[in-house]
Amino acid sequence: MTDVILEKVGKTYPNGYQAIPSVDLSIEEGEFIVLVGPSGCGKSTLLRMVAGLESISTGELRIRGERMNEKEPAERDIAMVFQNYALYPHMSVYDNMAYGLKNRGIAKNLIEEKVSDVAKMLGLTELLQRKPRQLSGGQRQRVAMGRAMVRDPKVFLFDEPLSNLDAKLRVQMRVEIRQLQRKLGTTTLYVTHDQVEAMTLADRLVVLNKGKAEQIGTPMDLYNKPATPFVAAFIGSPSMNLIDATLTEQGVKISEALTLPLSHQHRGDIVWGIRPEHLEVSDEQNGDFALRIQAVESLGAETLIHGKIETESANGESMVVRLSGPHLPDVNSLMWLTAPMSHWHLFDAKTQQRL
Amino acid sequence: MTVTFPQKGLPWLLLLPQLLVTAIFFLWPAEQALEQAFYQEDAFGLSREFIGLENFIDLFTDPLYYQSMLTTLVFSFSVAIVGMSLALFLAVMADRVIRGKLAYQTLLIWPYAVAPVLAGVLWWILFDPSMGPIALWLKSAGVDWNHYLDGNQAMILVVIASTWKQISYNFLFFLAGLQAVPRSLIEAAAIDGASPFKRFWTIVFPLLSPTTFFLLVVNLVYAFFETFGVIDATTKGGPGQSTTTLVYKVFDDGFVGLDLGGSAAQSVVLMAIVGLMTVIQFRFIERKVQYS
Amino acid sequence: MIENRPWLTFASHATLLLGIGLVALPVWMALVASTHPASAFGVGHIPLWFGDAGAETWGTVLFEEAGNGVDTPVWFMMLNSLIMALGITFGKIVISLLSAYAIVFFRFPCRNLCFWIIFMTLMLPVEVRIVPTYEVVANLDLLNSYTGLTLPLIASATATFLFRQCFLSIPGELVEAARIDGAGPWRFFFDILLPLSRTNIAALFVILFIYGWNQYLWPLLITTDDAYYTLVMSIKRMLSVTDGDIAWNQIMATTLLAMLPPVAVVIGMQKLFVKGLVDSEK
Ligand SMILES: Nc1ncnc2c1ncn2[C@@H]1O[C@H](COP(=O)(O)OP(=O)(O)O)[C@@H](O)[C@H]1O
Ligand SMILES: [Mg+2]
Repeated sequence: MTDVILEKVGKTYPNGYQAIPSVDLSIEEGEFIVLVGPSGCGKSTLLRMVAGLESISTGELRIRGERMNEKEPAERDIAMVFQNYALYPHMSVYDNMAYGLKNRGIAKNLIEEKVSDVAKMLGLTELLQRKPRQLSGGQRQRVAMGRAMVRDPKVFLFDEPLSNLDAKLRVQMRVEIRQLQRKLGTTTLYVTHDQVEAMTLADRLVVLNKGKAEQIGTPMDLYNKPATPFVAAFIGSPSMNLIDATLTEQGVKISEALTLPLSHQHRGDIVWGIRPEHLEVSDEQNGDFALRIQAVESLGAETLIHGKIETESANGESMVVRLSGPHLPDVNSLMWLTAPMSHWHLFDAKTQQRL
Repeated sequence: MTVTFPQKGLPWLLLLPQLLVTAIFFLWPAEQALEQAFYQEDAFGLSREFIGLENFIDLFTDPLYYQSMLTTLVFSFSVAIVGMSLALFLAVMADRVIRGKLAYQTLLIWPYAVAPVLAGVLWWILFDPSMGPIALWLKSAGVDWNHYLDGNQAMILVVIASTWKQISYNFLFFLAGLQAVPRSLIEAAAIDGASPFKRFWTIVFPLLSPTTFFLLVVNLVYAFFETFGVIDATTKGGPGQSTTTLVYKVFDDGFVGLDLGGSAAQSVVLMAIVGLMTVIQFRFIERKVQYS
Repeated sequence: MIENRPWLTFASHATLLLGIGLVALPVWMALVASTHPASAFGVGHIPLWFGDAGAETWGTVLFEEAGNGVDTPVWFMMLNSLIMALGITFGKIVISLLSAYAIVFFRFPCRNLCFWIIFMTLMLPVEVRIVPTYEVVANLDLLNSYTGLTLPLIASATATFLFRQCFLSIPGELVEAARIDGAGPWRFFFDILLPLSRTNIAALFVILFIYGWNQYLWPLLITTDDAYYTLVMSIKRMLSVTDGDIAWNQIMATTLLAMLPPVAVVIGMQKLFVKGLVDSEK
């Protein structure tokens, strides 16, 4: 069943700035959708329109078939977790979680029951009488989630909930959020600028760029078949190597001296891409091109090699190669590589669409 | 702040009490003053006559008004400068001591809470020419103290009483200003070999200048408008006009002299002065906001 | 301290003690004076050490009459002062809280105009517009009433600005969280805003209480009925007795009693007082 539908939803701020031109998205019940994109691309704006904290300028939002545009946040049956948690500083953990229920006039014993259930689930039982300032960052994060969960809403909204935590805690909470969401089966819209977080959490991802949804799909869809160079560069770490090239009869012409053979009916300027992990070490006879090594980053389990494609002219294109295990090639030496055609990504330079 | 409530009528309801009080007790009287300033009214309020700018012309051709302006300036700057110097001195001392800072603060700030008129009464009895201990002591030292007769002495008395009350305020703000001076700067100067005295004048005092300027404005405003009680209790503006400040004169001409038109014209002039001072103060606040 | 100079530390303490002594001198004198009978004061003579009529003087002014032409006892005037001070304080705090709330958390036409109208009150202290304000109050038939004592003084730009500042510093997400939790404007005001502004309100309370208690000119003008005399203004009436008959001991005792409550507030709530002073100058 389709739970949340955004139909041509757009936002123009009162100052005239158009943050979101138009976004279409339909979310299935129980689905975990992640909105991802660089800072300032309009993720929060979109989320806040769903929450009812920003008015919807154009288009329609429906939750379970009901139009929500004019509804107050409290009437939408959503719950939100904020980046800085937004816990009420003067209320105890218990009161923070109970506040929304009290406002809805729910019976006291029922509130107690719900809060203690959720507290148990999140391991907050011991902390119920504390004030937010007496909690650690991770604990506050949990309380914020607990506050959202007690209400048992139709939709969870998260706005960068992990970005105030340190790296280790972030990973831990990421896993926990995913498990909780699975267990509760609540439809979730989650905003982050961190593509790792996005890939690991999402059932489906929405990549936003300047307020436009560049691509919507499962993490593997986006990894395997990015629709635009923007998505290609954004998903995956280190980023895909993207090189301006021309498609000719001979193939992909990267520079005067280097053309990778390919038969394709498209002609003209393109962007040619290959992920660092798909490049293979080769030798002078079999290699497609050589890389002049500029820097080597050894991470133990893998090695990242930065270099430039070697050409007669001074400046070749930069490339990153990712090899598993330790490697120690000399800086400034040449490394021959092959680029398996099955891993190529071709984009039209003008329309930025995948070919 | 982007988050607001959508209600349209409620904010008006919330603002209503304040707007009503402001309209009835501030704007209406101000308008009345403005109007009255252009009329001449007899003492019983039975008849009045439009006389245009005559009240203002009278005011600005009246030597007594200029004298009152001068009195106000002398009084205000004396209060500001004497009060600030003493308070700065005490604050520097309090900033130096490690033990008992809070106790000293407590014992120095309470005069803030004393009503100006009470401050006037307290100092008056000390300086009463016939029985005040300080007046008697001054007499034995050869100074013939009688502030009922000597205008300068009357001025000194009101300055002392007004300053006494304001020292606590100045002290608090100077102490806070001193404590905000970064230790590292003072330590750097000490390493450069500057003596404590030199450090104060070359490092600390310049850094205090925003506080000093702020206090100057506050003290002037205080001396202008909040010392009515001091003057009324000690000298009633006399002897002659020697301690009649502009604010005292508005009251005196209006309620004692029953010159309503003249008093209203003075009110208008005073409002203009307060407006100017408020703008200056506001400018300062803006600057402070920018820097912090 | 950067260098250790014992004599400098000693000098600092000595100066501070001297300063405290000078500041306390008039109060000391008043205290001494209030312990002598009225006859102890005369030309060339004022007592410099405590006498033994203290209890009698203080008892008289507190419970019988303040003397010097004021027939009401001090405790009664204290009550009036308290009513006026609390009326002004609560009034200012309530209307300022409400209007700051409207200005910060709502958008409505003429919002800036309202802000400026409130701002104007800064430029119109009561001393400046004393005659016409008196007339307005007289026209409204508010002379000799508690309403007349308090209402004209309760509009306050300073308090409104202070609360505005305080509200603006509340994170927007908190407001959003409250809205999602189903809190309407009133619930938000009472459940979130007021508790979060507690210290600011308390600090302002201290400052405004002192302001209200110390009102002098206004009550002096609009009260002629001794049922409404406030303590601070009664001093003026006590002083207007012809010179020779002044009972200085009673005046001094009344003066000390009149300054006691606000001074006690400042000393007892020093932290809040300092915060209030600093805040209200922002
Ligand atoms: N209230 C506002 N008025 C005008 N522009 C805004 C407002 N809020 C956000 N913006 C602009 O809209 C764009 C998207 O903002 P936002 O949704 O917060 O981005 P993010 O993806 O980082 O969450 C940004 O360029 C931001 O400057
Ligand atoms: Mg954001």
